[in-house]
Amino acid sequence: MRHVFSVRIGPVSFRVGSDWRGPVEQLRALYADHPAPVDGIADYTVRLSATRPWRRFVRPSVAIAGDYMLPDAAPLPLAHGLLAAEMAMNLQLALGERRFLLLHAATVERDGRAIVLTGESGAGKSTLAALLSARGWRLMGDEFALLDPETGLLHAFPRLVSLKNAAVGVVRRALPEARFGPLMAGTPKGDIRHLVPDAVALAAMDRPARPVRLVFPRYGFANDAQPVGAGEAFVRLTQASTNYVALGEQGFDALTRFVREVPAVALDYPDADSAIAAIEG
Amino acid sequence: MAETRYRAPARDGLRIAALDDLIAVYHRASGITHLVVAPVPELLEAMAGEWRSLESLAEAFGLAAGERGALIERLDELVAAGLVEAA
Amino acid sequence: MSDETGHSDAGATRRRALMLGAAGAAAVVSIRPALAQTAGSVMTCEIPVPDPSRAGGYIDANGNVVPAGTKNAFAPPLRPLKGEDVRRAMAGGGNLPGVDYERSRAYLKYVGRLQRGTTGFTCFASLQMLRK
Repeated sequence: MRHVFSVRIGPVSFRVGSDWRGPVEQLRALYADHPAPVDGIADYTVRLSATRPWRRFVRPSVAIAGDYMLPDAAPLPLAHGLLAAEMAMNLQLALGERRFLLLHAATVERDGRAIVLTGESGAGKSTLAALLSARGWRLMGDEFALLDPETGLLHAFPRLVSLKNAAVGVVRRALPEARFGPLMAGTPKGDIRHLVPDAVALAAMDRPARPVRLVFPRYGFANDAQPVGAGEAFVRLTQASTNYVALGEQGFDALTRFVREVPAVALDYPDADSAIAAIEG
Repeated sequence: MAETRYRAPARDGLRIAALDDLIAVYHRASGITHLVVAPVPELLEAMAGEWRSLESLAEAFGLAAGERGALIERLDELVAAGLVEAA
Repeated sequence: MSDETGHSDAGATRRRALMLGAAGAAAVVSIRPALAQTAGSVMTCEIPVPDPSRAGGYIDANGNVVPAGTKNAFAPPLRPLKGEDVRRAMAGGGNLPGVDYERSRAYLKYVGRLQRGTTGFTCFASLQMLRK
């Protein structure tokens, strides 16, 4: 494991060890403006290793390992090593995090107030968050919202934004100055490119925000907005959380408080412009 | 055969949070969260830390003889969910 | 956490009796985590078929959700599929427990097409990652 990379993203830091230079170089380039872990100590470890010694060279195949693993997880080709690294980081956080309640959601902030977008893939959370960041909203994250059980505040976790298929072109047009990672075609999740969070997102990374609205977006439907009751929001969020159960009573308190304090709306939209108008309106 | 009796956790064994018409119940012993509707919290309260017979619960809820069915249904559900013990 | 206790007036008691009587539907739902590993075992994760946002739909032979009653489509299972059963059926080609061959194929195809974020997807994804 000769190649190593470490990075801090909000309150969470990772170190990534790899048998190949490629993925580590890509990570280093895309996370160039992110800080290093505090005091050099990482919270989570990720290993990208060859499934067998000769598989470092022959049909190189990346097996994901780390503190938290899914045994027998299917490896990825080296060409998708960056995706493997991102998935592995997601896994460490999803399974290991205990300081924050994790919600699978995109978060944007303005004036200290945060909007949380959660729901199905294809609902467009990452895309909407990226587009909102072109309109003066600070991107706090596109994958995980970190809810502090003590304060009820959301902490930013601005990772590389994972964009799929058609969304890539849409976001590139809206953010002509933005940096993107390489195109990874034909991954298990489709064609993917990563968007690097902008300078505003990185500069504000350590500034938490109060959640003021929870949105369940749904792409491909006629414009509609319906309030969602606290009970339904609660159930849906337990399914969108990877560590609700592990947090026990603290998770219960954090989530019940969240749904009681934050109004929720189910937003159907036919195109990104309509969604943005509804969210900003 | 002795009559079945039911018992819910003592009051401090549960955390309860009302969320519109659904009520979230956290069962400390198991760490499991249940979403319930009325009158489950009242039922749990009536059995909190005490063994109660079907008879005495029916009386507490002002049920006539023929209205036991729904109560039994609710109790069976609570036993299946692990919130109530039956003996 | 407690409301008015048993010795309230007759009106309140009658109200409670009515609420009990209005049963017939479930009054308790237990939260099951979406991600298998967070429950400690893949056996405890569940996949509702179809996704609750499309409840009532039937499943055709290709795993698509179609309107209820569509010809040659199957009524969905009454209970969500258990992660462990899905895994075994996909790995070994056997049927889901208690379900005949064609219906099993349809359900498994539905599961295979789940999109990220759909209820049950994380259960399915963790099962997928478990296959070499």
